[in-house]
Amino acid sequence: MKDFLRRFARNRSAVAGLAVLALVVLMALAAPALYPGDPWDMVAEPFLPPASPGYPAGTDMMGRDIAAGLFHGARVSLLIGLVATGVALLIGVSVGAVAGYFGGLADNALMRLTELFQTIPAFLFAIVLVAIFRPSVATVVLAIGVVSWPPVARLTRGEFLSLRGRDFVQACVAIGMGDTRIIALHVLPNALAPIVVTGSLMVATAILTEAGLAFLGLSDPNVMSWGSIIGAGREVLRSAAWITALPGLAIMLTVLAINLVGEGLNDALNPRLRGR
Amino acid sequence: MPAPRNPLASLLAGAALLVASQVSMAQEPVRGGTLSMVVQPEPPTLVSAFNSAAPIGVVSTKILEGLLTYDFDMNPKPVLAETWKVSPDGKTITFNLRKGVKWHDGRDFTAADVQFSVMKVWKELHPRGRSTFAKVTAVEMPSPHVAILKLSEPSPYLMSALTSYEGQVLPKHLYEGTDIAQNPYNSKPVGTGPFVFREWQKGNFALLERNPGYWDAKKPYLDKLVLRFIPDASARAAAFETGEVQLGGFSPVPLSDVKRLQASGRFDVETRGYEYLAPMFLMEFNLANPYLKDRRVRHAIAHAIDRDLLVKTVWFGFGTPATGPIPSVLTQFYTAEVPKYPFDPKRAEQLLDEAGFKRAGGGARFRLVHDYLPYGSDYQRTAEYLKQALGKVGIEVELRAQDTAAFLKRVYTDNDFAFTINFFYALPDPTIGVQRIYWSKNIKKGVPFSNASGYADAEADRLIEAIQVEPDRRKRRELINAFQRKVTEDLPVLDLFETRFFTLASKKVQNHTATAEGVYGSFASVWLAK
Repeated sequence: MKDFLRRFARNRSAVAGLAVLALVVLMALAAPALYPGDPWDMVAEPFLPPASPGYPAGTDMMGRDIAAGLFHGARVSLLIGLVATGVALLIGVSVGAVAGYFGGLADNALMRLTELFQTIPAFLFAIVLVAIFRPSVATVVLAIGVVSWPPVARLTRGEFLSLRGRDFVQACVAIGMGDTRIIALHVLPNALAPIVVTGSLMVATAILTEAGLAFLGLSDPNVMSWGSIIGAGREVLRSAAWITALPGLAIMLTVLAINLVGEGLNDALNPRLRGR
Repeated sequence: MPAPRNPLASLLAGAALLVASQVSMAQEPVRGGTLSMVVQPEPPTLVSAFNSAAPIGVVSTKILEGLLTYDFDMNPKPVLAETWKVSPDGKTITFNLRKGVKWHDGRDFTAADVQFSVMKVWKELHPRGRSTFAKVTAVEMPSPHVAILKLSEPSPYLMSALTSYEGQVLPKHLYEGTDIAQNPYNSKPVGTGPFVFREWQKGNFALLERNPGYWDAKKPYLDKLVLRFIPDASARAAAFETGEVQLGGFSPVPLSDVKRLQASGRFDVETRGYEYLAPMFLMEFNLANPYLKDRRVRHAIAHAIDRDLLVKTVWFGFGTPATGPIPSVLTQFYTAEVPKYPFDPKRAEQLLDEAGFKRAGGGARFRLVHDYLPYGSDYQRTAEYLKQALGKVGIEVELRAQDTAAFLKRVYTDNDFAFTINFFYALPDPTIGVQRIYWSKNIKKGVPFSNASGYADAEADRLIEAIQVEPDRRKRRELINAFQRKVTEDLPVLDLFETRFFTLASKKVQNHTATAEGVYGSFASVWLAK
């Protein structure tokens, strides 16, 4: 563990990313304390520019405090990013593990299914899913999860295929250990490093996808996320650019931070890069 | 001058100023030029005689005509009918038709075309015409240019439904004996109007050319009229700015862009010309809902909403707070003498307490799901405002997003909703536009824009049915006033504000809003300043 931390800390940009990410998490945690009211409340004159007294980020076209929106939006964006990634990992790892471990017919069937999903453009597929099951936090999370699992499945299958033939796995089989136990206790832990790296990057993609859906008006209308602030503000982009620019900046920094952290994780976890 | 306190007075004053400025600018019309106009969304067909969809009207009314048009106070003016007379018992209406009018294919326009259009098209196929012309039993033709409508009962509202949008006359020789709704001329119409159809490139534009043989000699002034179909609102705003299009109706650009476009000094923003449609933005309550069936709850909701703020902030001022079911632009029928529900959250809380829905431990009283018409960001922002406003008086609201088809099915077929926001055309007569929301005989599953609240009240029905057949104008107006009081008291539907559509025009375009029909006008007198 110490070794891992040391390797991660050697990557300066990863540490910077982690700092930004920590800041965003802090924002999300502090939102109810700093802005106890509802971010939807119309509290001031509409179209107050940033740095107005009491409203550091200005107000939107309805006179809502954008700073409150950014803080509460951080909760939503992070939550959706994490849970959607969780859903995608759950599906992807299960499919990949079964396909890679058992091979044969199961592998064939599952990989054809994966390919079917891979041929559909992910974002369009997410739009279709959300439009069919009317937009809510649950459907958005599910849609993002459903469209982003195939790469995880591919990756997991690859790792499992190579680990399946190793001696320690064969030894487990020889002493009569059950398949589930072998998968969960011996193969999966050894395949985890690349999955963790992919998963961290998927959080960033999920946040972006949610923002895209919200921008198109396909998010839960009861919840304020960064994407929905941008979607509402784009109409006034030319007269009140800050309404779109500030949440846009927040998304950019968060996604960048997550990518840097992911990169750092990759460097720290990938044995082949050791000593680089 | 002290500021007028009555919003209606200030509106009228504003309108008067607009008229004055237009008169002072009046110059001699100039012939020639091409006008590009934006139409959204693209119409499915180009004939309005049996399809009331809004964008069709913008195109078809330049090619085909009706018997009458209406000035801004809804007084009838001649088009294909030169003079008309309603008998004292209201059961015979005589039209003397204009002579020497020719269809674009060279055939003469006669009373036979009117007879065919009334009996075979409007009465049988038009969604509103079916009830408007229901009492017409025959059209007699004592001469080729006289058409006499015979009615089984008086239909005083019929005289308001004869525009080229609501009562479009079709050429009998091209439509008789065919399946009218599928007739090929629906996408290449042949009319009597100032412009002749040339080309329709789907997804792009429709091209109309000047009719040199138009009955109103010297007109039209324009050589060509191009109707452009641009689906995205922001792209339309850009098209106006580059000069690609010069005119558009039905609020063609985002409301938030209007100020910026106006500031450039190159455009006129005209809110007149929608008097004929008289749009109303309203909230339908489902009276089967356990909370909303209590009238006090509906009154409380009315008191909880600040309509001035709604219009000013959410709708950028394009509206006027409503007082009752009939918009104030319908000056012949509107009355302000109705129960009022001023913005008063305290009163709202008091009413909810009285209804027995107390705040449980300072929290919410009850929870409602809100379905809003998914017509764009203005509607969603309205829903967001309502959620906040009702939350303040202890009604927790959850917004439900869905597409238009799902919304219409949920409200008008499945009746699976608590309350909506929606908008209706009140149209020039309460029998044509307003009664459908309140009449118990119009609780029809599967019919969009019918009585979705399930309001069935014997007294309201009696008034509605009396209004349909009362030929005496003064007595009818009294009935209409009583109807407005009755439904504003019961409040099955909460009228929030009168939507103000606007027409955006380059300052070069003259006379685009000449009648109460606005962009549904014929454009015969539109011209381009150099």
